[in-house]
Amino acid sequence: METLYYVILVPMVYVAFAVFFIGTAIRLFKIFWEPKHPSTLQIFPEKKPKWLLALYDTFLFPTVRKHKPVLWVFLILFHFGILLLIIGHLELFGEFEIFQVIPHEVFLGRGFVGLIVSISLLYFLFRRFVSPVRELSVPEDYYLLVLLFLIVIFGSQMDWARRWYDYGELDVEHYRTYLSSLLHFKPELPYEITDTGHSFMFVLHVFFANLFLMFFPFSHSMHSFLSLPMNKLRRG
Amino acid sequence: MTGIEQIEIIFYYKEDSFMDNKTRDDLLKLFQSKLNEAMRFYLETCTRCGVCTEACHVYASMGQVRYIAAYRSEIIRRLYKKYFKGRGKFWPSVGEAKELSEMALDELFDAAYSCTGCRRCMVYCPFGIDTQQLMSIAKLLLIGANTEPEILTLLADTSIEKGKSMELFKEGFLEGIKRLEAEVVEKWQTEAGTTAIPVDVEGADLLYVALAGAHSIIPAAAVFNAAGENWTLSFFEAVNFGAFVGDPTKTKLILDRIVNEAKRLKIKEVCICECGTAYRVMKQLAGEQPFKVSAITEVHARYLKEGRIKLDKSKLNGAVTYHDPCQIARNAGVIDEPRYILQHLTDNFRELTDDPRYNWCCGGGGGLVAMGEDTLDFRMKSSKVKVDQIKATGANILATACENCHTQLSNLNDHYAMGVNVQFLSSLVADALVR
Repeated sequence: METLYYVILVPMVYVAFAVFFIGTAIRLFKIFWEPKHPSTLQIFPEKKPKWLLALYDTFLFPTVRKHKPVLWVFLILFHFGILLLIIGHLELFGEFEIFQVIPHEVFLGRGFVGLIVSISLLYFLFRRFVSPVRELSVPEDYYLLVLLFLIVIFGSQMDWARRWYDYGELDVEHYRTYLSSLLHFKPELPYEITDTGHSFMFVLHVFFANLFLMFFPFSHSMHSFLSLPMNKLRRG
Repeated sequence: MTGIEQIEIIFYYKEDSFMDNKTRDDLLKLFQSKLNEAMRFYLETCTRCGVCTEACHVYASMGQVRYIAAYRSEIIRRLYKKYFKGRGKFWPSVGEAKELSEMALDELFDAAYSCTGCRRCMVYCPFGIDTQQLMSIAKLLLIGANTEPEILTLLADTSIEKGKSMELFKEGFLEGIKRLEAEVVEKWQTEAGTTAIPVDVEGADLLYVALAGAHSIIPAAAVFNAAGENWTLSFFEAVNFGAFVGDPTKTKLILDRIVNEAKRLKIKEVCICECGTAYRVMKQLAGEQPFKVSAITEVHARYLKEGRIKLDKSKLNGAVTYHDPCQIARNAGVIDEPRYILQHLTDNFRELTDDPRYNWCCGGGGGLVAMGEDTLDFRMKSSKVKVDQIKATGANILATACENCHTQLSNLNDHYAMGVNVQFLSSLVADALVR
């Protein structure tokens, strides 16, 4: 068990991050290296400023708001939630003054962010069971949603335990020790990380996150990088 | 199961999916030739969220999932995932990657020739995926496999042939044009000694590129003459069958005939008749040229603005609505001009939609109308929503500015007994000309 925990928490994390960063960089490089389309692909009537509107399309999904308002609510909650969770994870590496503009304990949102993201993911998953989205979906779509759900539910559980059930054994300090040791390539696994009641949750969280990171560059998750240039093409 | 049954099944399966490696490689090369940056975006990004579901008039009219934009695109994407992504080798099932087979070609045909390339789905997609672009891959593969609609290739080849041997056609063309002049003069009396339909005039300001048909030439000529335009008629018809069939080489050859003619005559402005594809191809694919490209609608609106022509509103009775041809409006931006013209034609104009981006396609684009009777049944079934949209305006005159749309809307008018009068906008202008 000890070896398994070690493999997931140390080498696999390195591999996952390497695949994620290198894979994403290579794939993006290959895509942007292709020749540009010879003619405009925009939709009219055009409005200006095009860049600002492309940003608006990319981050606020106005077309979804217009045509699928319920989906839009969950999409906004989900994507904004992910952003907060990413900030939360950065804070597990150390203190960032900029994030403390709103004074808070790590993680932001008192545990509700993870809850909302989990519910959003369930919504995305369940709507794929219903026609016509069912017929449009391919296994990748389900894998990604299930994977994300598992990551978020195990991750959030640790946050909820600390905040809502006074579970104090596994704390932010321990995560910080672990993560900064990884960052400095001197891996260290505190006792609390591997041998307390909620350790297996933590290990599962990291395991699924590793899988996700390794799949990311090859999946449609790449829309996180491609959405802006695509929306710019549509805006002209 | 007996042995024979098993063999039969294997044989059946093999025959269905059989495609020799050489053919497949050739087709994949064609696929590769389409892969530019934008195409990679479109192929990599779809999350199959289903927001585009209601966007397609075919799905909205017929309710079959295979007509949803994301489903059509996925047919191309599955081949992409098989042959152009590492996943296709290691883990094909994750994206349902699919082998390029004869059956796959059937699916490609069904997807590409039920899509009119109207790009209405692009307005819905949160990323702006261009289904028309993805369908152009399907169309090119079909050409490579010799399974494209023959009629479109035939028409494209005829156009190209005409470009190569203009001298052979010249005589007949000029004779035909002469016969039309009387009708032009009937609409607008030109001064004695001037030609009603000038052809091959070097140094003319405007080159008008019409379609093969008097209805595309007579009203336009009358308006040019009324505006005192220094114009000349092109030898060639505007329509680009190469674009319909999705053949980039032929599209370019057909386009170049007109570009070369315009350069030879030192033209300042090329004016494209009421043909959506012709206009968009000329405007967006011709590249940097010494002349500007306009749609006839833009030219007419300009004449009105400059006071070069005047129109009599009393010529039109009843409510008028206007169908924006997709390739001219949503896809090329000529939206305000037809409305400006209509303001001068009627006080009773009714919009089909609040937002021109959401206008339903007539259902005849992408070569479907050019394929004629073969597609008639499908065109009628797939355009029910268009009929409803027109009926809701209560208009009795339905104007448009595209030959394809006009044919399709006329067919719809007959099929659904809509009782509207389908008209070309340029004809309405010509008929309402006053001194």
